[in-house]
Amino acid sequence: MTKPKVASDWLAGCAGCHMSFLDMDERIIELTKLVDLRSTPITDLKEPDESGVDVGILEGGITNTYNEEVAIKMRERCKILVALGDCAVFGGVPAMRNFPGAEEALKRAYIETESTDESGMIPNDPELSTPVHVRPVSDVVKVDVFLPGCAPSADAIFYVLAELAQGRMPNVDGEFNDWH
Amino acid sequence: MIQLTVNGQPVEVEAGSTILDAVRKAGFNVPTLCYHPKLVPYGSCRLCLVEVEGARTLQPSCVVPATNGQVVHTDTDKTKSAREFILSMIFSERNHFCMYCQDTDGDCVLQQAAYDEGMTHWPITPAYKPFMVDASHPDFILDNNRCILCRRCVRACTELVGNATLGFEERGSGSILIADNNVPLGESTCISCGNCEQFCPTGALIDRRSAYMGRETDLTYVNSVCMDCSLGCERVVKTRDNRLVRIDGNLDLGSNESLLCYDGRYKPVADNRKRITSPMVRRNDQLEPIGWDEALTAISVQLKAHASNEISAHISPRQPIEALSAFHEFFADHFNAEQVTLLGHDQTALTSAKLANEIGAFESDLSALKDCDIAIVLGTDLVKDHQVAGYFLKRQAMNDLKMFIANSTRTSIGDWSSNKLEYVGTDYAAVVDLLQSYAQAEDPDLPAKLQNLGFKPERAERILGQLKESQKPVIVIGKEFAKAENLPAFHKLVQLAREIGAKVVTLKGKGNNFAGALLGYKLDAQPMSTPVFYLALGDGHACDHTRDALAGSEFKIVQASYASEFTEIADVVLPCTIWAEQEGHYLTSEGKLGLNQQAIQAADGNLPVLDVMKSLANKSGLALSEAWRAAVEEKVAAIVLS
Ligand code: SF4
Ligand code: SF4
Ligand code: SF4
Ligand code: SF4
Ligand code: FES
Repeated sequence: MTKPKVASDWLAGCAGCHMSFLDMDERIIELTKLVDLRSTPITDLKEPDESGVDVGILEGGITNTYNEEVAIKMRERCKILVALGDCAVFGGVPAMRNFPGAEEALKRAYIETESTDESGMIPNDPELSTPVHVRPVSDVVKVDVFLPGCAPSADAIFYVLAELAQGRMPNVDGEFNDWH
Repeated sequence: MIQLTVNGQPVEVEAGSTILDAVRKAGFNVPTLCYHPKLVPYGSCRLCLVEVEGARTLQPSCVVPATNGQVVHTDTDKTKSAREFILSMIFSERNHFCMYCQDTDGDCVLQQAAYDEGMTHWPITPAYKPFMVDASHPDFILDNNRCILCRRCVRACTELVGNATLGFEERGSGSILIADNNVPLGESTCISCGNCEQFCPTGALIDRRSAYMGRETDLTYVNSVCMDCSLGCERVVKTRDNRLVRIDGNLDLGSNESLLCYDGRYKPVADNRKRITSPMVRRNDQLEPIGWDEALTAISVQLKAHASNEISAHISPRQPIEALSAFHEFFADHFNAEQVTLLGHDQTALTSAKLANEIGAFESDLSALKDCDIAIVLGTDLVKDHQVAGYFLKRQAMNDLKMFIANSTRTSIGDWSSNKLEYVGTDYAAVVDLLQSYAQAEDPDLPAKLQNLGFKPERAERILGQLKESQKPVIVIGKEFAKAENLPAFHKLVQLAREIGAKVVTLKGKGNNFAGALLGYKLDAQPMSTPVFYLALGDGHACDHTRDALAGSEFKIVQASYASEFTEIADVVLPCTIWAEQEGHYLTSEGKLGLNQQAIQAADGNLPVLDVMKSLANKSGLALSEAWRAAVEEKVAAIVLS
């Protein structure tokens, strides 16, 4: 039997959920016996296989058009999509930006910061993505498994992936359902 | 009794019970948000919906009465999907960022309800619209972003505290919790009692001092009674790593119905006075640290070197009965000291005990204040002192409680009633005389008496005219009235109360004042300077008069937790544990014994008054009996009606 393929990526998050993923320590070896870990933001391969993967994992909320693209691409290429962590599930910390609005936030960050001089400006390279109203991943693409937490525990991540690897839908409940 | 079935299980509840009561009695649970056992059911959140066979729609179990033969189901597809829908709506209305909310995990009733329904996400994404945050109050913060509009805070403030500070502005999901006419909480009529904050089920009202100090479920809880006044409100002290984190009213114990005032809830946690860390003795006009044994020996030598009329000893009523008893035994019984007083000069307990001695038990417990139709309040301002007792009257004043108040200064409790008659002055004999006239049939001298006290006849008639017909009159006696010189008036008043069936409640100063009176302390004497002056302040304060008496004494011993103007001038300073570092009993105004459990460990070097008394007794070759309970209980029974 071929091992199910797993790909992950991060959107607007702090990378903490991926750190928590690594926090499963030596169980990661056990996990690689169960799954074929393909692209991740912390390995060489950055994009999910064009031919598709079985499980896609997204950390972070949707804050700009690039996040939207990544989310859509992952959705298109995976069979089961996992929203990993509070930002992916609820919008989380980045959703705070909705209160002042993107424009105000950018102004504060690039122009009004105490250490910025008169030359401060909001980056405007046409290559850059455009900010959007921050929202959870499930507002852009269909999500199959929600694993909330800031960050979800290594145990919870291991449980979810081990279940998916063995062809079962995980039931995120009890100590694994922890919004913090 | 009413019989019904819940999830197939028969259950019997008393008439007047709700379906929720029946569900819980049958051993099941339905989640609730707006329901609180101490509040009138409100039925706004609908999370408690259950299926009742034969009813067209789901029923909110917290408000619907249980009736005979009802068949109730709590966990059907219908109730489950209703609950999920309700929770989805609540989460979509505000900003519930649990990850950085202070109320998370086990503390938040809303989050717990979501977990119980197995929700891993929000089916409806919120608009992430910001709501008003009010951080103007020194003790707690209001964050409307976390508010679920359950109104538990509003109801606590109005129904229980009688303060009616909180309310909502705007309507529906846009409702905003505000203070008064939308002024910042810190500038509002709020009395900082914190009861709203305790009753809030979410992170919308946040205690500043305990915020982010750990989940409430991770804290250590001990029961405590407040010793700031003699109501002895029951409370729960919550600690972590030997540090006070917060204090809440006890939901299960005490006459205070889980309510506290600022002094019982926030003040002790906010206390940041400088602690005394070691015994000290004055040498070359400097206080220098010394060992305990050396300090106690120095005291012992002085005590033995002086005649009994050269020694006086004074102790704070904040000390537990165990300490008061040992202190009295040591100084009054063994040393026959000239003066052994309880600080505060509140004679209420003593006067009341004297009167009971003459005419038998006459006092009622606090429940008399919770349900009355006319309240006669003499010599106290219940908005300033014994505040929780004040809540009981204030909340009835919003309805049609009539109040008669007499006090030397205008009281604030009077401001809560438009149905009041207030006398400002000290002629209590004339006041009691007037009350007597209203309780009797006809008194030809009535006009003269009214004029003497400055009352308009119509207004007086409107309030006091009710005295005879009143079903539930109550008389509240405070410090100013219960002075020894008013004993005859007090006597007359109690006789009058007996005639008209009024209940009499006396409020007995601070902490253990009542116990002090029963143990034989002098409550009517001001401390005077003596060659040896022992002041057991503990964590309390004392008045300027006491300070002057101390200053005028030769050998000054101050046992205190905190550095102050008293320790500064002392010859020997003994570091004392604070209330949270020692265990002991308190006798409340209504004669109930409460236990203050030790919540935290004192740093090395701090000792309780009781331990020091035992060591001193030891040095004098004495043994203290430590027996107080039987005598105290017997004396209480002679004063307070059972
Ligand atoms: S109030 Fe409760 S549900 Fe809302 S953010 Fe705080 S913990 Fe989460
Ligand atoms: S602290 Fe007390 S008075 Fe102030 S709003 Fe809350 S319940 Fe009302
Ligand atoms: S502040 Fe708290 S208690 Fe008051 S309505 Fe909001 S959630 Fe309920
Ligand atoms: S009313 Fe008295 S006993 Fe109760 S909390 Fe306030 S000070 Fe403490
Ligand atoms: S708990 Fe019953 S309606 Fe809110």
